[in-house]
Amino acid sequence: MEVFITSSGHFLPGPPVTNQAMEEILGKVHGKPSRLRKRILQSNGIQTRHYAIDAQHNTTISNSQMAAKAAQNCLDNSYLSKPAVQLLSCATSQGDIVLPGFGSMVQADLQLADIELHTSHGICSSSMMALKAAYTSIKAEDKQNGLVVASELASRLFKASRYEAVNNSEELDFNAEFLRWMLSDGAGALLLENRPRKRCFRIDWIRGFSHADAFPVCMSVGYPKHNNGDKSWQDYPTYSEAEREGALLIRQDVRLLEQVVKLGVDGFLRLIHEQFITPQNINHVLCHYSSDYFRSKIFDMLNKAGVGIAEHKWYSNLATRGNTGCASLFIMLDEFSRTQQYTPGDTIICMVPESGRFNNVFMQLTVVDE
Amino acid sequence: MENTLNPHAQNCLQALMRCWFDFERRIQRVPIITRLNAGKFSNDDYLALLLNLRQQVIEGSRWIARSASSFDRNHAQVRSIAIGHAQDEHKDYLLLEKDFVNAGGNLTTIEQAPRNAGSEALHAYLMYRASQPNPIDMLGAMWIIEGLGQKMASEWAERIDALIPAKYATQFMRYHSENDETHMQELYHLLDLTCTSTAAQTSIVKTATVVGRLYAMQLEEIDSEN
Repeated sequence: MEVFITSSGHFLPGPPVTNQAMEEILGKVHGKPSRLRKRILQSNGIQTRHYAIDAQHNTTISNSQMAAKAAQNCLDNSYLSKPAVQLLSCATSQGDIVLPGFGSMVQADLQLADIELHTSHGICSSSMMALKAAYTSIKAEDKQNGLVVASELASRLFKASRYEAVNNSEELDFNAEFLRWMLSDGAGALLLENRPRKRCFRIDWIRGFSHADAFPVCMSVGYPKHNNGDKSWQDYPTYSEAEREGALLIRQDVRLLEQVVKLGVDGFLRLIHEQFITPQNINHVLCHYSSDYFRSKIFDMLNKAGVGIAEHKWYSNLATRGNTGCASLFIMLDEFSRTQQYTPGDTIICMVPESGRFNNVFMQLTVVDE
Repeated sequence: MENTLNPHAQNCLQALMRCWFDFERRIQRVPIITRLNAGKFSNDDYLALLLNLRQQVIEGSRWIARSASSFDRNHAQVRSIAIGHAQDEHKDYLLLEKDFVNAGGNLTTIEQAPRNAGSEALHAYLMYRASQPNPIDMLGAMWIIEGLGQKMASEWAERIDALIPAKYATQFMRYHSENDETHMQELYHLLDLTCTSTAAQTSIVKTATVVGRLYAMQLEEIDSEN
């Protein structure tokens, strides 16, 4: 059974927010402008992004509602009506509420009846895991179609008040501030079917390689500032104590970021070795990397090894849509499908290297006509 | 970047990169390195690390010199490079010993320390391979050991400096960051020169794999022997 991506959709809340305007919305911690903002923005290359909070820190739309809007946009672009959808597979890093699963909330917002439900948990790669669940369901002929939705509402973590609530917050740690200038909000959706529709994408394979056994946690919410791995936010007598210890801030151990690139390259080489990827045949690459990485030494080495991919084949909209975590790849593929040139037979490689604890997921698509 | 490697060398480089990534993951799981990554690395850990690295560093220039003597005149160019390398590295251990003393260790202790079980296996394997006629597979060994040198310089040294009280105790590790680019170009050159068949490719990758496993064992033994 072949599986096709026959429609896509996205939702980005509010107007695009420029680099200058982002601190007005997220707020200045203790009234002082960030000293790191420019440096981090320079390295990630992001120019505009979207936020689902306003400058007064009201939430303008919930995470599940954003997911529902992206899903509706995807269905509007498709040949299916709501009642025909058989499976809903959802991903987010953090739902609006802790329990129940994000998928249940999206289903309710979307008003989809009698569907089978799947929620995947993780960070950037959770969307790819949700996608794989739908892909394998259709491949196993258990379902004829599946709607996959990924959504993130990260900005709530970045309100100045969150940082101010931490003990000794005058000395903000770099790892806790890093993602403040990286992540933003948005949702993307893909519809999978067991038949092609007009010009669409056939999923050739989805492969993931996780390396949590070999590396420490790199991106997290739940550990205190002085983390030795044995105390999580739930181990404090009260949640307010956890917050004071910085256990509710999102952190990136930037020291480990280089590993993300290495492991991405490792997966790429492994897929070449296993003959899943033929580098010469690749026409387009969609990758959830910040553009800086392409200039790293390891990519020079790939060129030297004869498996580099020419720069013009890389497509990304991270600079204008922001890094929306697990939603990024879907938002990217949606915009790619609407704005870029591609012809039947073209091969598209999608890569989502997750820094959470190093799960890398790859996918190959082939452009087909019905 | 200009593509100058022959197709066998290109395939070999792909395999070597994967081999390196696998080696990196392997040493990440070694207890003393897990402690280093977790920030639970003590001064005693550092002394133990240096103590156990020293033998391999001393033997390093020996296997390179042995390799040089195993190349016949058809491999004169490779031989010259190997001789240069052996010359460059044969006194590195002195720098390491100085670090050991600066970190509070006793010179006699490190001078008299025997090889651990992993170092024995690694040394024996390297000397055995280096004694074969025209041992081009030693390029695989270089790949791993030089790669680790770079890793020490770029990741470990700074981390260790942040975790131990001693000053000027990571000179040996830092020394390896010099001439990084020159070393890479030289390695590409050697790969292109020697890796011209499937058999050559297989043997280079095999030696890199075995050296990686034995090196990890050398590091694992630090905790087994303590």
